[in-house]
Amino acid sequence: MIEVRNLHKSFGDLEVLKGIELSLDKGKVLVIIGPSGSGKSTLLRCFNLLEMPDEGQLKIGELALNFDKGRRPGTREVLALRKRTGMVFQSYNLFPHMTALENVMEAQVTVQKKSKEAARSRALELLDKVGLADKAGNYPHQLSGGQQQRVGIARAMAADPEVLLFDEPTSALDPELVGEVLKVMKRLASEGMTMVVVTHEMKFAADVADQIIMVDQGVIIEQGSPAEVLQHPNHPRAAAFLNILTQREI
Amino acid sequence: MDDRKIQIFMDSLLPLLKAGVAYTVPLTLISFALGLVLAILTALARLSKISVLKAAAGFYVWIIRGTPLLVQLFIIFYGLPSVGITLDPFIAAIIGFTLSVGAYGSEIVRAAIQSIPAGQWEAADSIGMTRTQALRRIIMPQAARVSVPPLANSFISLVKDTSLAASITYVEMFRKAQEITATTYEPLLLYSEVALIYLLFCTVLSALQHYLERRLARFSAR
Ligand SMILES: Nc1ncnc2c1ncn2[C@@H]1O[C@H](COP(=O)(O)OP(=O)(O)OP(=O)(O)O)[C@@H](O)[C@H]1O
Ligand SMILES: [Mg+2]
Repeated sequence: MIEVRNLHKSFGDLEVLKGIELSLDKGKVLVIIGPSGSGKSTLLRCFNLLEMPDEGQLKIGELALNFDKGRRPGTREVLALRKRTGMVFQSYNLFPHMTALENVMEAQVTVQKKSKEAARSRALELLDKVGLADKAGNYPHQLSGGQQQRVGIARAMAADPEVLLFDEPTSALDPELVGEVLKVMKRLASEGMTMVVVTHEMKFAADVADQIIMVDQGVIIEQGSPAEVLQHPNHPRAAAFLNILTQREI
Repeated sequence: MDDRKIQIFMDSLLPLLKAGVAYTVPLTLISFALGLVLAILTALARLSKISVLKAAAGFYVWIIRGTPLLVQLFIIFYGLPSVGITLDPFIAAIIGFTLSVGAYGSEIVRAAIQSIPAGQWEAADSIGMTRTQALRRIIMPQAARVSVPPLANSFISLVKDTSLAASITYVEMFRKAQEITATTYEPLLLYSEVALIYLLFCTVLSALQHYLERRLARFSAR
């Protein structure tokens, strides 16, 4: 489903991704962990080209893009890739001038050109799935953080993407609201949604991930099953980072 | 105040109000509507990646903001005839005020667009929208809300600025007051009276502005 080869990305002189390699099968969950500033968000944002890689290859589903030798995909390819992915943001980024229902309808109506009725019934179905059928008419500012983020998940799924990307979806939430969002994500995973999740929620990673990668200074320093990465890290910096996380949780 | 002055005041009230409603108000409304369209186009041009557009829009705003409105009106009405373009005072005034609203308004609209958080563009991108779709569906509706208070201020300023059209022979409310003064020799009375009517117009508009802002605040409590 996802294939990444030798992916590089710099911001000016700062090389943030230094040759990332990974692959993920359909229906699997990949969790990306690592210290702050290590390049996790940048990597995730390369998957839907919010950041344009400088070099390497990226394949999502049937769509393969090559960034070598300064090549850049055209607008059509960029849009095609974005239709295959959905993204959930740390700060939700809901459209504040639209109700929850309209947020979830928007991609269907404007991008997919579905009829309003079809979009509405699909949006209601998705809001129901994230447990917010009764909040369809609320504006984002009338919802709690956890509710907003669940609308964010419904919005990301609205155009039937092949992959869902999550960038620290629970980091902006009050602790008591984290659970409701993770529960929705767990359910999606169990229903076979392909997901890439940047998170510091180690319990979620241990329970749900099929594969974990740890990024540090733009390179992958650990890669494997949760048991391999979380219990038996090889790299000394990986062990140190996990130590800090577990101490924080106690 | 003696009886004669009261009589002149009462006699002038209706002609002044008439001039206001029939000439000042249309001039204001038409210039503002056209100016707003121009402002949005100019703001988009200044934010576009096409450097020719960007430069042209920047040049236009530079010229209009850097020269007095009265001088611009004189160039359009008294200057252009010498290159063969003779305009009706009303048309000349519309052009002058439209250009002015377009330039100042474009700065307001541009600032409003730039005030929309980057996350909104990213969310629009992430659901597969083109730049045009993102602007039309996500960014502009929010920017419009942000622009309402400053644009309402521009509108109120415009009502008063239209009095400059008197100087290019357009008989709006202020020129009407000048005409009545010429026959009654009561400048203090007539100019105070017309000032009062401007004050009345602007007070009504301020109330409308507050109402509009309160309504918009309901959706954007962020
Ligand atoms: N648009 C940008 N321009 C310049 N530098 C950037 C940009 N985006 C990210 N960076 C830099 O790239 C590096 C990696 O950032 P990134 O956001 O990917 O880290 P992260 O692993 O997601 O960190 P965090 O856990 O804090 O979210 C950081 O040093 C950051 O300052
Ligand atoms: Mg990040």
